[in-house]
Amino acid sequence: MSNHIVENLRKEIEAFQADTKTEKVGKVIEVFDGIAKVSGLSDIKSSEMVTFPNGEVGVVLNLEEDAVGVIILGDFSKIKEGDEVVATGRILEVPVSDNILGRVVNALGKPIDGKGAIKADKTYPIEKVAPGVVTRQAVGEPVATGIKVIDAIIPVGRGQRELIIGDRQTGKTAIVIDSILNQKGQNMICVYVSIGQKDSKLRKLEARLEEGGAMEYTVIVSAGASESAALSYIAPYTGVSIAEYFMDQGKDVLIIYDDLSKHAVAYREISLLLRRPPGREAYPGDVFYLHSRLLERACRRNKKYGGGSITAFPIIETQAGDISAYIPTNVISITDGQIFLETDLFYKGIRPAVNVGSSVSRVGSSAQIKAMKKVAGTLKLDLAQYRELEAFAQFGSDLDESTKRQLERGKRSVEVLKQLQYAPVKTEHQVVILYALVKGYMDDVPVEKIKEFEQGLVDYTEKNAKVFYKEVVEAKMWTDKGETELKKVIEDFKSSFS
Amino acid sequence: MAKISSKNFAEAIYRATAGKSGSELDRMLKRSAQVLQAKRMLGKAENILNALQDIIDKKTGTIRMKVITAKDLASGEIKKLENEVKEKYKAQIVKAEFFKKKELLGGMRIEVRDEVLDATYKKKLLKLEKFLMQEK
Repeated sequence: MSNHIVENLRKEIEAFQADTKTEKVGKVIEVFDGIAKVSGLSDIKSSEMVTFPNGEVGVVLNLEEDAVGVIILGDFSKIKEGDEVVATGRILEVPVSDNILGRVVNALGKPIDGKGAIKADKTYPIEKVAPGVVTRQAVGEPVATGIKVIDAIIPVGRGQRELIIGDRQTGKTAIVIDSILNQKGQNMICVYVSIGQKDSKLRKLEARLEEGGAMEYTVIVSAGASESAALSYIAPYTGVSIAEYFMDQGKDVLIIYDDLSKHAVAYREISLLLRRPPGREAYPGDVFYLHSRLLERACRRNKKYGGGSITAFPIIETQAGDISAYIPTNVISITDGQIFLETDLFYKGIRPAVNVGSSVSRVGSSAQIKAMKKVAGTLKLDLAQYRELEAFAQFGSDLDESTKRQLERGKRSVEVLKQLQYAPVKTEHQVVILYALVKGYMDDVPVEKIKEFEQGLVDYTEKNAKVFYKEVVEAKMWTDKGETELKKVIEDFKSSFS
Repeated sequence: MAKISSKNFAEAIYRATAGKSGSELDRMLKRSAQVLQAKRMLGKAENILNALQDIIDKKTGTIRMKVITAKDLASGEIKKLENEVKEKYKAQIVKAEFFKKKELLGGMRIEVRDEVLDATYKKKLLKLEKFLMQEK
């Protein structure tokens, strides 16, 4: 055994080549809070990687006349004044390969899940110019999130950037977990970027994805709350570089940034330490560019350029529902729509607590299949009218029949759109449920029995409305034959439902 | 008005003293020191002197080289080294400083401006250590 080890080592030593080349070297002038000022390094580029004697890596952010400002990506406690800093000549990059799927990596792409090294023969720079206009294609294929209210009213397309915004504890992360879980068998790779989150939360999330079999097609990039602001700052760029690796292979990728508020705070911290001038809310002047250049990398490539896509779900946490703060308004203006979650709705039991009125998808129905478009067409308007009537109805009891009908339908619509966590619904099931709702089949079902009715309807129609399901799954739309069958099956089910 | 840097000051001193000698040069240097004091920049005197040294080196085509070895170099080796550096940096004059450090074990380390060529045994062993310890 020991002979074998020695023999292996001998072979490795023989194969080892220590090439000697000239290196650009600087000296640490000062170190503080994860930032190092380095003299020398005259020809260094912005965003270039440097290495410190203890093996830690840094990135050059400030190029000044006499020194450069470097952010240290790791433990800076052992770096001292006078230490030698070596320029690598490379822009910060992360290792990428197919083996990264199912793994949890840090902001530098190194595994942190204890499952060993990730074999990677390629690296991708973390900063890259977003794909140009000629390489892009309009968003037209849906991302099925499995969440009824989103797929029906705020549809998201592949290549879209849809912001998820809301106060703390309103279910923002729950929405993205459900979306990841629902990507099984949808030819979608998911990248979840955790920025400044508690390790316990991340562990829980990983376990949930593992349990749901979603880790097979998911990568988690984590910059935890205990890590430096520098790592939180680069984590989203690392995530999108990994996503680009898969997009370059023509694959569709869903990337989640959880959350960009903490990312902006980390960048503010770094900028202030680098003595960059503070602006509104003490954020630096380029905080808009920080997020716009990141989110612009989400796109849908046309066939000529491989046809892959990156769909981005950035998350923003608001304070007391204030969406007019600096970072929320910035990200709202960058993205192609937002899903607005409200605390009031959450505590009323309407979960997911999506405020349908304030939420929007600017790509709209072009990201929906025909069948869904048909059933969900008037749902948003119905719900808006219901909210208006609901407020009005509180002041009077004498309501005409049509108003009463609208109110009853509205109550059922709200009930149908409620959904439990970790229970994504297949698109074809959503179509059947919404069909039954908009065609009035649920009007005489008591509101408290809607959930039971819904579940029963899905089970029953799946067994008995095979033609309809086949048409929706394969052709994305039903024919008259399928519709007739579905109508009959729903009526049969209703007669048996007590 | 833009902040005055050490480099700006060094450049100004160089221009004020260029081509002067004797008492005139003394007077200029004294005045430079007085201006430094008036502008409260005496604390940066070391940086300014270094910048001045760089400017003079550039103008005279001088290269400063630091050579660190484990044992003394033979005079022939020094001459060869100086010629190599002269050629590489297209320099007129090479000013070399030699240091001995036993812990380098062998080979040599050459430092010119912010460029370093480390061909010591110590460095090679460190690289080997890193290579053997990396996860495969």
